[in-house]
Amino acid sequence: MNDSVPPADARDVEFARDALPYMDDVYRFAYSLTRNAADADDLVQETYLRAFRSWHTFQPGSDARRWLFTICRNAFLRSREKLRHEVDVEDSDMETLAAVMNQGEMRKDGSDQLLSRVDLAPALTKALDELAEPFRSTVILVDVEDQSYDAASEVLGVPVGTVRSRLFRGRRQLQEKLRAYARDAGFASAGNPAQEPNDV
Amino acid sequence: MSDDMPMLDCRSAMQQLWDYVDGELTAERMQAVERHLDACANCHPHAEFAERFLAALHQTREDRSCPQDVRAKVMASLRDAGMKVT
Repeated sequence: MNDSVPPADARDVEFARDALPYMDDVYRFAYSLTRNAADADDLVQETYLRAFRSWHTFQPGSDARRWLFTICRNAFLRSREKLRHEVDVEDSDMETLAAVMNQGEMRKDGSDQLLSRVDLAPALTKALDELAEPFRSTVILVDVEDQSYDAASEVLGVPVGTVRSRLFRGRRQLQEKLRAYARDAGFASAGNPAQEPNDV
Repeated sequence: MSDDMPMLDCRSAMQQLWDYVDGELTAERMQAVERHLDACANCHPHAEFAERFLAALHQTREDRSCPQDVRAKVMASLRDAGMKVT
């Protein structure tokens, strides 16, 4: 008998203590992958079942949330093999500059005022839901779930450079959606001149 | 970073802006970008905007949580799988 393997009840207690509190986080990540509630429900169940059955492989003291995200993402990929084939833009420096330029335009036309509104979260949630993969899951992991670039890289199974590229591009797309929302909501003026790159 | 080091130019600072607000730069680079932002009236608002944008994005956490019926289904399937503590 292996003395390092705790009895079943102790494992159950550890799992309940260390894994179950993250169900909201896993749900948000699952929803970002599936983009619909029914599939997210199934994916959360599948994630927790796999996690429970594999709990003996979890290293105590390591990041249980990251471990759950990885299981969730792997379970999702197994159900959607086609999503393995994704094309990325790797020039994240250009993505950063493009996002900064977009920010400048938002400030110029007044749409940045949206950011101080208390009811912005629903609009941002909608914009996040509309964001295409693989940008959506990357933004959710880093910006909503506070994962580092390294952690997101591990969860998504891609290099850190790819995480940065996806993240910056996703943020820019979100800002563009917010800008359109601001125009529709009357916060921003249409037809302002575009900012020159040198303005950055 | 030494005060004698040349100031980052705007383009370099903006290229590192997201990494800066994410806290993903080395300590030295964080300082260099911070120093530029403190001194540059053109770039400082970009950093402020980026931080407000990310704060708003983070707030969406509160907009979506695991529904109670899904939570109940997860717990039921864990019990079926042999989990004794619920």
